[in-house]
Amino acid sequence: MRSKLVLTLLLIVGLLSASRPVLAHHGAASFENGKSVTIEGTVTEFIWTNPHVHLKVDAKDENGSVQHWVFEAQSIVNQANAGWTKNMFKPGDHVLIDATPAKGGRLVGLFRGHIVINGKEFKRLEEAP
Amino acid sequence: MPKPSISTTLIALLLASVLLRTLAAQTPPAPSKSVDGIKVDKWNSLPLHGIDYRGVQSAPAPKRDLSGIWDATGDRVNGSPPGIQFSGANEHRSVLPGNNAPRGGQRDEKNIPNPLPYTSLGETTLESHKPTGQGVRAVPSGQGNDPVNICDPPGFPRMEFSEFRNLEIEQLPDHVLILNQNYRTWRTVWTDGRELPADPEPRWYGYSVGKWLDDYTFVIQTVGLNDKTWLDNQGRPHSSDLKVEERFHRIDSDHMELTVTIDDPKMYAQPWQGLKNFPLRRQPKGFDIREIYCSPSDLAEYREDVGDEAPPDK
Repeated sequence: MRSKLVLTLLLIVGLLSASRPVLAHHGAASFENGKSVTIEGTVTEFIWTNPHVHLKVDAKDENGSVQHWVFEAQSIVNQANAGWTKNMFKPGDHVLIDATPAKGGRLVGLFRGHIVINGKEFKRLEEAP
Repeated sequence: MPKPSISTTLIALLLASVLLRTLAAQTPPAPSKSVDGIKVDKWNSLPLHGIDYRGVQSAPAPKRDLSGIWDATGDRVNGSPPGIQFSGANEHRSVLPGNNAPRGGQRDEKNIPNPLPYTSLGETTLESHKPTGQGVRAVPSGQGNDPVNICDPPGFPRMEFSEFRNLEIEQLPDHVLILNQNYRTWRTVWTDGRELPADPEPRWYGYSVGKWLDDYTFVIQTVGLNDKTWLDNQGRPHSSDLKVEERFHRIDSDHMELTVTIDDPKMYAQPWQGLKNFPLRRQPKGFDIREIYCSPSDLAEYREDVGDEAPPDK
């Protein structure tokens, strides 16, 4: 019961934190807000730089052909504050990522919070009250 | 002795459970501690959360002393005008997400609570600024013209109105240095009694003089600001005639408040406060500030990887 409550709270915190402002480069108007995609695939590169940390993932579509996705986070400082590190993803890691897709059908997504790396769910640093 | 009925037993269990929960909820008061006793990473330290300051016993404010590393960490923004900070200090993780709701509600900022007193030039300049972050005025990134999107310096006072980051303040005999984490910039605030320049060549961070109003309040006047910068992430404008007054008011050893007043008759009919008693907290001794830069090559790589729909408008 308690763990269910904690999970629900974590989920709410995750959803709320996903709605926080990103730096000015790619803002809310570039994404299909309210929509969500879940992509499963293999990390090809993790770029830990400003203005926005981002992750490249190869994933297969329903026809089995490989698609090159890019997932965008915020600045290094903001990601570090959320518990991310430069070694969080490595090429070859199997990942599952929930993202808000970019407008226009491009294979770009904004991290929504839920991340699984090699079968293990990534937990954000606890939000302060 | 009669055997207790099932209902009596259930009530007793329920009472016991309520009692136990009440006892558990009463957490003992945290022992007193000093901010400098809080452990942070030796390198690239993470700013403290509001929760870290629980139980901190702050010493009285030292007289005429602002030195230390200050951050907006962990405080909600109360009392600041709508909009001005929502993409600024509120962005910090330790501010509750609810505070980030876009405010204002009108692209032209008319018919909103507490509108800024724009002149007609102020209104048209605001309209020409196309922010790309969040908020009702944001446009898709390819249609924006935010100067920081091409790595222009945010400048002053945007460094305080949007993305407020660590400020390290160092006091020297004839000037105060304000070292800003964002873009690794610094400001020199002269305290040697000199006057502000009469006809300065514009600077991104302006020309500043400061003096103590009383033992705990330091007032800085700044002029000579480059009008290529915006006041904040929302594209609010200023002219090169802008005068800014900052009041740093030290509350105690660990807390300070910042009030910033904008005086720019070309853009605004009256002066207004961009920050009012904005709370800052001191970070522990030994705190190592992580760098934040806008590197043109990093930006180019990001654009290539993530894809920008179009170059920014001029």
